[in-house]
Amino acid sequence: MIRKIAFNLFAWALVLAVAFPLFWMLVTSVKPQFELFRRPPTILPETWTFEHYIGLLKETNFLNYFWNSIILSTTTTLIVVAIATIGAYSLVRFKYRGRETLAFLVLFTYLLPSVVLILPLYLMLVQLGLSNTITSLVIAYTTFALPYALWLLRSFMAGIPEDLESAALVDGATRLGAFRDVILPQLLPGIISTALFTFILSWNEYLFALVLVNSDEARPLTTGVMNMLVSSFNIEWSLLMAASVMMSVPLIIVFAFLQSYLTRGFGAGGVKG
Amino acid sequence: MADVTFSNVQKHFGAFRAVQDLNLDIREGEFVSLLGPSGCGKTTTLRMLAGLEFPTSGEIRIGDRVVNDVAPGKRDIAMVFQSYALYPHMTVGENIAYPLKKRGVEKAERARMLKDTADMLQLTPLLRRKPRELSGGQQQRVALGRALVRDPKVFLLDEPLSNLDAKLRGHMRAELIELHRRLGRTMVYVTHDQLEAMTMSDRIAVMEGGKLQQFAPPQEVYREPSNRFVAGFIGTPGMTIIDGALSGSPGAWRFDAPGISVEARHLGPDAAEGAASMGVRPEALTIGTGDTPATLRLVEQTGHENIVVVSIGDIRMTGRTTPDKVWSPGEEVMISIDPDMPHFFADGPNGKRLNAKPSPRGNEPSHSLSNLSEVSP
Ligand SMILES: Nc1ncnc2c1ncn2[C@@H]1O[C@H](COP(=O)(O)OP(=O)(O)OP(=O)(O)O)[C@@H](O)[C@H]1O
Ligand SMILES: [Mg+2]
Repeated sequence: MIRKIAFNLFAWALVLAVAFPLFWMLVTSVKPQFELFRRPPTILPETWTFEHYIGLLKETNFLNYFWNSIILSTTTTLIVVAIATIGAYSLVRFKYRGRETLAFLVLFTYLLPSVVLILPLYLMLVQLGLSNTITSLVIAYTTFALPYALWLLRSFMAGIPEDLESAALVDGATRLGAFRDVILPQLLPGIISTALFTFILSWNEYLFALVLVNSDEARPLTTGVMNMLVSSFNIEWSLLMAASVMMSVPLIIVFAFLQSYLTRGFGAGGVKG
Repeated sequence: MADVTFSNVQKHFGAFRAVQDLNLDIREGEFVSLLGPSGCGKTTTLRMLAGLEFPTSGEIRIGDRVVNDVAPGKRDIAMVFQSYALYPHMTVGENIAYPLKKRGVEKAERARMLKDTADMLQLTPLLRRKPRELSGGQQQRVALGRALVRDPKVFLLDEPLSNLDAKLRGHMRAELIELHRRLGRTMVYVTHDQLEAMTMSDRIAVMEGGKLQQFAPPQEVYREPSNRFVAGFIGTPGMTIIDGALSGSPGAWRFDAPGISVEARHLGPDAAEGAASMGVRPEALTIGTGDTPATLRLVEQTGHENIVVVSIGDIRMTGRTTPDKVWSPGEEVMISIDPDMPHFFADGPNGKRLNAKPSPRGNEPSHSLSNLSEVSP
């Protein structure tokens, strides 16, 4: 009993510690400027205002950056999921020389710190004439999301009994048909996990965006907001918090939408033994 | 006419030979079991027939078509997998109708065929459920349904009853026999359970180590096992096999082992002097009377009979008695071996049977089969 209470207290303390900065972000974004630095600080704002949000949307490039981030993350996610699904299928189902080595090498590339890849990647993208474009970021993010995505999906794929596919083949499906009818539905939780991982990674990435893109047309939210609101002399706290809230919203929506799929537990009970 | 033919089929996985020199002619409408211990290549054989595995060499025919290069879906076969392999995201109805859908059967026709199959297997109330919401026996029936909904040339069944409890297994066994009788289709049935093979099959293909050992009707496999492996594998309790030596000459052979010396009757032309073995089925052993002293080791009371293990020196033999005999382990008893009943095999684990055909009198399989127990090795 005591242990249970202690455990609950501990859990709530953790939740609080994690949630407080988020709460503070939200609160700060709706406080007027003059209330921000008051001592003692006000927990709930005395005056509510949405002027920061309006200012951000009307007078800055925020929407432009936001749109860039959406395009960037969505494209990256689609590409990574598509390639990783096909790649994982190959790594698990087809037998060829060097298959295991290949899988290992893929993981190995993931172990390289991304910092050492920036400059070579930058030079290559410049030579390709892609510098300062969203495409360059899509390529960059794909290169480092793909290895992990491949491993993630490979383990999901390995969990799908081969007999299911064999059964579909005997039942008259083509390989592609079996893949679509049987493998894909089974793989859905894995695909969703991979998509979430890739989307969040591309949405939050900062370093590559800073190095590879230097024009407002192609800048994503992360560097855009920093560039706009944080300078050596001044930090626009209110605007920054409002921007942060709006940056978090898409992630929260995506999570809320997909979380039920993740926990629904497909696949159980199809095959005995 | 042969319906399924394997000609010199080999299957190697790297250096490992999973199936070697397989020759099988399965007749149209026949129920054939592939029987053998785990890892002997039964599933591999079936998967080659289904087109899920390519033979390394040799030829497989279904009807008069060589199917080596034909895709599984185009072979006119249906298969029940050992694991059932039901599609977890589809309902029972969708599972059963899937092969029809893939073959372009139109919707109304599909619904009718689904209904017929579901009625036959008593699955109608379950059609909307997902496979995970079914019991093992129900899943089994769905797997059967997915195969039966079509009318293929050959049914392939890979240990379809192995996951069921003994009672349900007995029930499903009877249903499968009935089904085979009704449909009259060729069925290839993989099992490692000899009771299933003995009771259901027209012929049994006994395999071991990737090689076909014998392909014959159940009675013949029991009465005239082609070699020592088959003899030891078929029958519960198993045949006692005693290593010893043959001596003498045609017409007057003797078999000697430490503590045992018997006249070896009914030997065929292959018999020769030297190392050999003798196989004694429990029913060839008489316990309580005879001229050979032995020690009683173990008595298992099954209810309708007693399974008795006796030893002569290092040799242990299994026999049967009626349940009214009261024995206690350690007791000295006299035993005798019916001289007309033993089988003799050439030296080696797969030594050929040396008896002359036809088989010696007295090995009444009807009696023996009814005594096969539910528990198999
Ligand atoms: N894909 C494979 N790669 C390598 N070896 C394999 C492969 N499939 C089967 N084998 C080997 O071939 C042999 C025969 O396998 P198979 O599955 O046919 O046995 P089985 O008779 O069906 O046994 P069980 O009763 O256990 O199902 C086994 O030794 C197995 O390890
Ligand atoms: Mg098997």
